[in-house]
This record gives sequence, structure tokens and C-alpha cells, in this order.
Amino acid sequence: MVPLGLLLGVIVAYPLGYSLWLSLTDRRIVGSKDATFVGLDQYAGLLDNAAYGVAMRNTIVFVVVAVTLELVLGLALAMALQRQRRARDLTRAFLLTPMFVTPIAVGLMFRFLLNEQLGAIPAILDNVGLDIDFFGPTLALPTIIAIDVWQWTPFMVLLLLAGLESLPRQPFEAARVDGASAWMTFRRVTLPLLKPAIGIAVLLRALDAFKVFEYVFATTRGGPGDATETIQYQIYRTGFQFFRIGEAAAMAFVLIAVVLVLATILYRRFLRPEASA
Amino acid sequence: MTLTLAACGGDGDGSTNASTGSADAGAASGTVRVIMEEVPDTDIVKEMLPAFQQAHPDVDVQIEALPYDQMRDRIVSSFLASDPTYDLIVVDNPWMHDFAQAGFLEPLDDRIAAIDGYDHEDFSQPLRDIASVDGTTYAVPFYNYALALVYRKDLYEKAGLEPPTSLEELKAAAAELNEGGRAGIAMQPQKGYKIFEEWANYLFAAGGKIQNDDGSIALDSPEAREALQAYIDIYRESAPKNSLNWAFDEAIRSVSADKASQLISYNWTLPTLNAEGDQAGNFALAEVPGGKAALGAWFWGIPANSANKDGAWAFVSWLTDKAQEKERVIAGGAPVRDSVMQDEEVWEQGFGEEYYTTVARILEDAAPLANGPNAEEMINVVGEQLNAAVAGQTSVDEAISTAAQRAQETLDK
Repeated sequence: MVPLGLLLGVIVAYPLGYSLWLSLTDRRIVGSKDATFVGLDQYAGLLDNAAYGVAMRNTIVFVVVAVTLELVLGLALAMALQRQRRARDLTRAFLLTPMFVTPIAVGLMFRFLLNEQLGAIPAILDNVGLDIDFFGPTLALPTIIAIDVWQWTPFMVLLLLAGLESLPRQPFEAARVDGASAWMTFRRVTLPLLKPAIGIAVLLRALDAFKVFEYVFATTRGGPGDATETIQYQIYRTGFQFFRIGEAAAMAFVLIAVVLVLATILYRRFLRPEASA
Repeated sequence: MTLTLAACGGDGDGSTNASTGSADAGAASGTVRVIMEEVPDTDIVKEMLPAFQQAHPDVDVQIEALPYDQMRDRIVSSFLASDPTYDLIVVDNPWMHDFAQAGFLEPLDDRIAAIDGYDHEDFSQPLRDIASVDGTTYAVPFYNYALALVYRKDLYEKAGLEPPTSLEELKAAAAELNEGGRAGIAMQPQKGYKIFEEWANYLFAAGGKIQNDDGSIALDSPEAREALQAYIDIYRESAPKNSLNWAFDEAIRSVSADKASQLISYNWTLPTLNAEGDQAGNFALAEVPGGKAALGAWFWGIPANSANKDGAWAFVSWLTDKAQEKERVIAGGAPVRDSVMQDEEVWEQGFGEEYYTTVARILEDAAPLANGPNAEEMINVVGEQLNAAVAGQTSVDEAISTAAQRAQETLDK
């Protein structure tokens, strides 16, 4: 217990405590002024900070839409894969590859794949008479969501497939004997039994999606205007580009609060023992 | 290996460096760890290292080249570390004021004065001005990236056009050359630094300015509105479609792939564009319309916590003296000394008289995007509004007044 406590103290509590302290000061890396204690001023400042609100809204839209799409696609793919008979390993390995590319490379890849003059995708669309402004004001956020779906649906597939394959066979046989339709079996048997696996998958994916940074950095830098500003990109700029460490720490702590609330809700809905009963 | 050597160099620091303002640079020794950007100008410096090694066998220069986006974080981490990562850094012009004011950079006046025949006045005036903060010189110029019009000579000749000298002429030329699969002009409207860097040339052409002489923001002007409207018109009429998130990379690839006829970009792209690709040799350089360009430049700065200040200065003073500057520019480096741009030998062995005299004219009155504290953030807040206006999310009028207001707030922070 003592070594574990010590380790947690060093790697979790100390940095967290230090950044909490920073968020209560006006600490900056450059500039002539020394840091002073400002209480909750940084947090109060965020309330007036319209850009922070926009970034929070964009981030939540991003997380909800991306994770929902990934769940639906992932579940469909996992169920298809479970029934597959031939070349299972090959298909699975192939489907999982996007996950193993580093996100910044994925961002850069799509930046050029979707480039009007140099990219393959607009060239193909052009042949069928389509002209899509992927990084324009209306589609920039959906495009970044689509990049996330491309990269992380395989993660959902992986977790849900493992969940599906560990389900007991009896309930399914009973359903078949009772003459339940495929849809009824899915809704009344598969989904309830799979709930814990779905909960874990959604929770992990949502926590990860809140960290979205690389795609924005590689493609739009938060533009056009503020259409793709996300929290992590804003924290990065405030802290490491503009060097206002205190303000960036406050931004991060508000994000932690939002994430904790979301995680608690998900946990209660999907993972508490009585919830899965 | 690096670490041990650097540590040795660093041990005697406190006592030796304090008194080396006038020390003979030839006596320097040890390792000098340098951070640089992954650009052609860095490659040229790397190629000159063996010559430096011959002149200073005791100084071992180790260059780490990184992409631009990673550099500033690393440099600042090294400034703050008790054991620095870098003994010599390159400084981008928007960083200069903040770095100098925070005490991160070593003042260089005494070291510069101690070298006979260095001729510091020979560095182009606008570049020297950037490196001087409150009357103290904190860096020496490395290479300039003032903006210029890089255009396809062959297409201009075929259409009977002359390089544009005003925004109206630029608009007309871009529209005229916008045909078939080739756009009239490639632009870089990406949010933040990129669009501001490009649009500033439009602003100067319209007669506007970014800051007043006292440093306050002067953006809220009819000229700024005219410049932004011209930028938007040219983007809509003649830039490649759907290029709202384009930055330097896309624009340069577009012209080099014969998909655009011209662009406003760094003057040093000309030798690169003319060296490779199907269109090599077809590109020429002109001053931006209006003749006053946005100025960017890289400088050599010695961190205040450098473990080998003498070694760093030995390298910098060698590389930036007149003789080596000439070698560097002939090899393709972007010039910073007035004398080298007037040197007939440089014209002959480099890229010709026209190129160097054009660069000299560009540098005469080029002006940086920001001067003063929080420059990086100021550039970003203006660039966000400009990009929103091009995207049609805000009006020109609103974008300019918001940009001016937020820029002033940023300077006052």
C-alpha cells in the first residue's frame, strides 16, 4: 500500500495539485510580471470568454456525434465479424489497422487526401460531378468527426467483438426456440447482455475523444473562424503558444469537471451491477 | 557523449562567461547544441559545418532540426531548465520581444563590438531593428523571409502582363490567368498566422498599417477594410476552390505542380521552385503589389542559460561575418547583409542580379507583423478574424473592428 500510495502521489497527485495551484494564479511563462494569487479570477474569466464556450460546445458535439457513430458502426461490424466463417483473422487484422497510425499522421494524411488540387478524394468525387468543400464553414467539424470515426471505429469493433464472443449461448438458443425474430433477439437479448461491454467501450472512447487535438492541429487550426476550435487545442494555444499557464490550467480543470460528470453518468447507466441486471 | 561534453563546457560558466564580452572567439571550445528549423536554409548551414570545423577545431557544433511547430515549446523548456538542452537557438521575429523581456536571451552588443571588421551596420536595417529590444541587441540576423510575389514568367509574358503594382492590378492579373485547371493565384487563408502574414501585404498595398509608431494598434481603418475586401474578392475569383484551410505547404505545391500561376510567399521559395519540378526555371520574383512587404526573419540568439556561450558566439560570429555570409548566399541561403546583395560575384555564382536586387528592394521597407509584447497571440487573434471573414462567417467591417479591438487587448495584457 505504501509504495503504491507514494507512486500515485508522485505521478498523479503532485502534478494535479500543482496545476490546481497554477489555475489560482496569473502565472505566465514569459512577461515581466511575477505570478500572484488571484483566487478564482481565472475561472470567472472563462465565464466571459466566448471563445472558450464555443470550444466547449464544439468539443461536446464532436464527442457525442463521433462516439455515437463509432458505436453504431462498430456494433454492426462486430456482429458481422462474429458470423464470419472464413478468413476471420485476416479481416480482423485488416479492419484494425487505422488504430495503429499515430493521430497526427492521420490528420496530415486527410489534410492532403481531401485537398482540392492535390488529393485523391476530391479527384474521385469530381468524376461523378461532386464538389465538396471539406474544410469549409459548414463541413469542417463533420470532416474532423469523420476522420475520428475512420480511425477509432476499429477500437469499438475490438471491444464489442470481445464482448459478443464472451456472451453465454443459452439465451440465444432459448430465443430461437421461442421463435424470436432477428430484430427481437438483438433488442431483447444481445443489447442487454452486451450493456457492460458497450458501457466500457463508450466510456473509453468518449474520454479519448475529449482529447481531440491532432486532427484540428493538422487540418484547420480551429478554423474556418472558430468552427473547429476544440478545448484541447485552445488549452494548448493558451498555455504553450501564448504562455498563459494559469489560464490554461483553469481551462483544463473545467474540462476535468465536465469529463467527470459525463463519466459518472455513463458509469451509472451502463456499469453499476444493478444497471446491467 | 553530447551531454558529458556540454556539462564540461557548462561547469565553469558563471565565472568565465561573465567576463567574455571581449574574449577572443578563437579560444572557444566544447560542444554547441543548436536548435534549428527543418528548412532549406538550415541544410545550407549544415553543409558549411566542415569549413567551420577547420577554422575552429575545438568547437563541436551539433544541429538538431525540427518542424516549426515543435520549436518554440522546446526552446522555452530549455530556457526554463536548470540544465539547458540548447546552447544556441534560432529566434523567429515574433518571439524576440517576449524572449528578450523575460531575460531568456544574452545581450550581444559587447560581443558584436569586440569583433574587428564585423560591420554590424551592414545587416539590413529592418532586420537589425527587430533584434534590438529597448536599445539592446539580443540577436543577429540569420536569414530573411520577407514576402514577395512569386509568379510564372512564361504565363505573364504570354498574357502580355507586367507584375502588378497595386491590388487592382493583382486582382486583374489573377483573374486573367485563372483558366482551365490552373488557378490565377494560390493563397494561404488558413486561420491564424498564415492568413495574417499574407494579408498584411494587401494591407500595406492599400496604404494601411498594423501598429502606430507608439505601438498601439492601427488596424481599425478604411484601408484595412479595403485590403480585406480585395483579399476576399481575389480568393473567391481566382484562388483554387475549397482552399480555405490552405497554408504555405499547399500553396507552394500548387504552383510547383502547375495548378496555380503565382503566389505571395517567402522570397527564398524562388530558388527552390526554379530548381525542381516541370516548371523549374519559369518562376520569377517581384515585389508585392504596392512595394511594402510583410517581413519575417530568423535570428541567432544565445540563451542566457546556454552552457557554452563562447562556443555559440564563435559559431555565430563566424557564420554571419561578411565572407561566410557570401558563401551561404551563393549556396542558396536567403541574404541578410546589404553588401552581399550588391556583390557581383554573388550575382554570378548565385541566382542572378535581378533576384538579389529585388530582395534588396523588398528588404528596404519591409515591416514585421507585430512589434512588442505578446506578438504571437496578437498575430493569432487577428488571423482568426481575417479567416472568419474569408469564410463568410463575419462581415469585413465586423472582422476588422473585432480584430483591432482584440489585438489591442492582447498587447495590453
